[in-house]
Amino acid sequence: MHSEKKLTKEDTWRPAELRKHIRDKDNRDGHSRRRDDDERKHRGGQSVERRHRDPVESRPERDKERDRRHGDSRDRQRKDGSHDRRGDKDRGRRDDEDRRKRADDGRDRRETAPGKEDLRERERHRDRHKDKEKERAKVKEKHPEEDRDKRREDREKERRREEQEREQRRERRRRDESDEVRRDPTEKLHREPRDRKHRGEHEDKRRDRVVQEDRRRTEDREYKEEVRRHKEERERRHKERRRHDETHKHDSASRERQDSKQSADDVRSSRGDRERTERDKHKERRKKEEETDIERRHKERGHREAEDEDVERNHRARSGSKKSSSGKSPTYEKREEDSNPQTAGGKNGEEKAEKADLAEQEYEEDFEKLEYEEDFEDVEESADEGEDGPDVDDGKEGPPAQASKEIEAIRRAMAEENERAGSARSRHSAVREEQEDKPGGSEGSERNQGETSRRGKFIDFVAAKQREVSQKVATRQKKRSTELLRLIDLDVTATFSLLDLPPVSEYEMYIKSFGNANAKQAYVQCNEDDTDRDVQTEEIEMCEKWTQHPPEYSGACGDPNPSQEARDKTRGELVLDSQRLMSFLRSASQVMVVLLEEDQAERKSLRKLKTQKDSLSFSDGSLQLNAKLPFLLGRQISLVHFSPAQKHTMLSVHTPTATASAVRLDSCAVVCVWNIWEPSRPQQILVYGSEVQCCCFSPGKSSLVFAGTPVGSVVLWDLREHSSTHYRLKIGEDDWTFRHPTFSTDAVMCGSGHVSPVTSVEVVPSFAAGRLRPELPPLASEEESSGLSFQLASLDESGLLNFWVVVELPRGNEAGSPTDLGLRPGGKVKLLHSSSLLTVQRPSLREAAKTKPFQTLLLKYHPTDSNQFFIGTSLGLVSHGTSHGLKAPPQFYRFQEVDERTADVSAIHFSPFRPNLFLVGCADGSIRLHAVSHDRPLAEWMNSTAGEAVVSLQWAQTRPAVFCVFDAASNLHVWDMLKDDAQPVLTEKMTADRVTAMAVFGDSRQQNTYSGIALAHESGNIELRYFTQTLTVPSPAEEGKLESLLTEAF
Amino acid sequence: MVEGSDTYFLRPNHQLKFKPAIVKGYIREIVRERLSGVQYDPENVPELTLSLAESVKDKVKSSGFDRYKLVVQVLIGEQRGQGVKMSSRCLWDADTDNYAEDVFMNDSLFCVVAVFGSYYY
Repeated sequence: MHSEKKLTKEDTWRPAELRKHIRDKDNRDGHSRRRDDDERKHRGGQSVERRHRDPVESRPERDKERDRRHGDSRDRQRKDGSHDRRGDKDRGRRDDEDRRKRADDGRDRRETAPGKEDLRERERHRDRHKDKEKERAKVKEKHPEEDRDKRREDREKERRREEQEREQRRERRRRDESDEVRRDPTEKLHREPRDRKHRGEHEDKRRDRVVQEDRRRTEDREYKEEVRRHKEERERRHKERRRHDETHKHDSASRERQDSKQSADDVRSSRGDRERTERDKHKERRKKEEETDIERRHKERGHREAEDEDVERNHRARSGSKKSSSGKSPTYEKREEDSNPQTAGGKNGEEKAEKADLAEQEYEEDFEKLEYEEDFEDVEESADEGEDGPDVDDGKEGPPAQASKEIEAIRRAMAEENERAGSARSRHSAVREEQEDKPGGSEGSERNQGETSRRGKFIDFVAAKQREVSQKVATRQKKRSTELLRLIDLDVTATFSLLDLPPVSEYEMYIKSFGNANAKQAYVQCNEDDTDRDVQTEEIEMCEKWTQHPPEYSGACGDPNPSQEARDKTRGELVLDSQRLMSFLRSASQVMVVLLEEDQAERKSLRKLKTQKDSLSFSDGSLQLNAKLPFLLGRQISLVHFSPAQKHTMLSVHTPTATASAVRLDSCAVVCVWNIWEPSRPQQILVYGSEVQCCCFSPGKSSLVFAGTPVGSVVLWDLREHSSTHYRLKIGEDDWTFRHPTFSTDAVMCGSGHVSPVTSVEVVPSFAAGRLRPELPPLASEEESSGLSFQLASLDESGLLNFWVVVELPRGNEAGSPTDLGLRPGGKVKLLHSSSLLTVQRPSLREAAKTKPFQTLLLKYHPTDSNQFFIGTSLGLVSHGTSHGLKAPPQFYRFQEVDERTADVSAIHFSPFRPNLFLVGCADGSIRLHAVSHDRPLAEWMNSTAGEAVVSLQWAQTRPAVFCVFDAASNLHVWDMLKDDAQPVLTEKMTADRVTAMAVFGDSRQQNTYSGIALAHESGNIELRYFTQTLTVPSPAEEGKLESLLTEAF
Repeated sequence: MVEGSDTYFLRPNHQLKFKPAIVKGYIREIVRERLSGVQYDPENVPELTLSLAESVKDKVKSSGFDRYKLVVQVLIGEQRGQGVKMSSRCLWDADTDNYAEDVFMNDSLFCVVAVFGSYYY
């Protein structure tokens, strides 16, 4: 039992310890335990030096662990062994490190390990040490062959046992795991320096730590086993060596040669070796397992009951077992190989015995082998990781101060050995040194040698630790993630499009290669000439305008613009046309109306003729002019006048009325222009602001009407003016146009005008007209061509005779003339004062003294001689004057007997047939017939009117010997000198409706000769009475009668 | 290795949140600086890609998105008129995690840089 324990103890020991132990053993084999304790103390001293790296706590910890271990029932079985192992583990580790430092690889180690064992012998014989080494190497080399055989046998046995063994191991491992946490610190101590350096380099590798941790765990376990095994082996070897020392000695020379060769090879192919060794691992492992099994079996034999427990536990720990058996460091494999033959040899018998029993399990084992192989790889990895670690160099570097001379010697020997080997492997080591260029790397080749050996072991720890840590981290992270995942939502995002580069189209390619680099072709339509201009504001239209007050007609405004004028011109053309049309229509309509009215009037007159024959003896018919117009109501007719040229045209002068009427023309005189064939209404209505004293028509076409007024002005009306330009008034259903004078001398020409009431206006007959026979009125065309250029004479009461030239302007000024203020706007006819003549030449002072003031009352022109004019005076005389040139005799036309009477000349009328004969009517009722050439009358009728004043006296137009006299008593006397040259042939008294004015009309030229008398009654009626046939139709004797009268008188 | 307590920062501070616009700006700046005028060279590009990624990562890291794990992906490809489509899809917490991406192109190459920021709770 004790021996077995020892075995186990030795198995776990470290080489250095072992050495001593063995040494001691040699002296006193039995007291190993005591020794161990001493050694441990001793080692403790040794480890003080290492403590400059390792924290002090490691020690107590380790002790504690150990104590705990002791508590373990399993450990108690091999109490010593486990106890020792605890200590040995440390020691062993250190020793391993040492060994690693010294030995380059497994084989070196193999050689060095024996070398160490020889140390104690070296004291005695130094050379021998080398020999032994070589011997051992040789033995080792031989062993493979032996081993293989043995192994095969072993394997069989082993397989049988392996299951059991694995279970045990598993259990152990479980235990180890629990310990591991406690052991961690200690491990850390060892690892610390390495870690410090590796932290930077291997940070990424931490992730693998879980795996490594596992590995390390197994490695640790393996390590323990190893240590145990080492002890065994060494013990065995020791014995063996003693046994075989002599037999092997003679081979030493050759072995040495081989050794050196091998070492060189090793250095060169250290890596390859490792792989190779690893490949062999499983075989070796099996061997080891056999060994441990054997050990255990020894124990088991002693402790059957305990083993039963184990079996039970194995079931639980089975999963861990595989790994525990897997990881094997290359360092001791070869050593095992060395020892194998011995152990195998020793235990073959027993194993074989069990072989049959466990044959069935072989197959299982084979499967497990595969798993082992996997594990090897893990180990390999961890080995690689650890490669770079300089770690425990220092441990070796600082040999204990009180290191024994033995150790010193060993080192020396090893150095020698290394030198030998180093020469061969210098190249490789140099390279490796470069790679390992680290602060601690001052050791040179020795260190290099140590490195490879170190690699395996240290990496194992790191890997295991890492594995553990990473597993911890993993679990922590897993916990963290489970906790977090409850709190947060993860969602799959929509696909982010990071880049979408469309393929280049053909066109783009073309542009890229042939176009401009940065230009892009685009289609543009250019149409430069298609510009569009826009003006926002419209042009301001401007024109000049004028206005004129009163705005009685549309011409109250206009504009003088040339453009306007041009427009006017075109309009003028149109107007011309329209004017022509108008004139045509006017005349035509007039004709038509006249025809219609004539027809009507004729029928009426025929009827009247019958009815009125009785009332008026001289007439055979009458025509009533419709003077009952609203604006004529209550007006007296002061004058009736017929146009000398147009014998059917008549005008009537209505005096202003005092009574208010509907029409506001009260203060105005109204002059009505009639066409006797159109009696229904007057053709024109002329108004003037005050009374009208006298009137006359223009010669020829009766287009102008002149009038003299009591205020001394001469006014004219142009009847051609368009009615639209005049004041229009709608009375009842009819439109009436009231024409204001076209021209008035009112106050305009005060300097040259009349200052007294105008008593008479008379047209001065033109020469042409004068030459013409009165019967042959000038042709209308002639009249038109001559225009309106004629003279007008006006006579006022003071005897001032004014001559006016009637001027027609080519164009009327709508705006009114700035110079001719008397001209109505738009008026075309005006009067120009040509000359004035004072006609009053009193006949004598005597006469004048006794008579009333001399007045000129009437003006008459000689019908054929425009130079001679005759003026009726208030003295009953008619003065004879000429406009220019010599005075024509006689100066005065007097009464028959007396020179003068105080009787106004009220009427003078030239015979239409004999222009040198004229009748003069006086206010005293006397009537005289004068010849122009004589101052005395041809005949004088004193009492024809019965003393009543002659108001009007006129020759009949169709019969030269007939004339009519109207007296103030409203008596009409008709004279027919052919019948009776002493008294009127008939006298009509119209007392019922007094006649206020009378005019004779008639036309001798036409076929249907007519003549008559217009009577204006007090009531305002105008009656046209046609003379009877006897009074109308001339007889050839009449002119002869007149001739005779002339000749009779002179 | 510090044992983490069981308190988590489920949401980043607003100021420290991963802001794509800012990161995009960084990317743009760096890529512009490094790649403008560069011709595609298959030999240099791997190195260039790595260094770009590194510099982008450093830049983003330095901008203080605390507790963010960053993934920087850089792709440089030659422009030869081919069509390229590249997209990504993530399983993440959309509240905290985000990404920024920018594309740089010149005549001879295109470069896509994507930075994914994943919040570490």
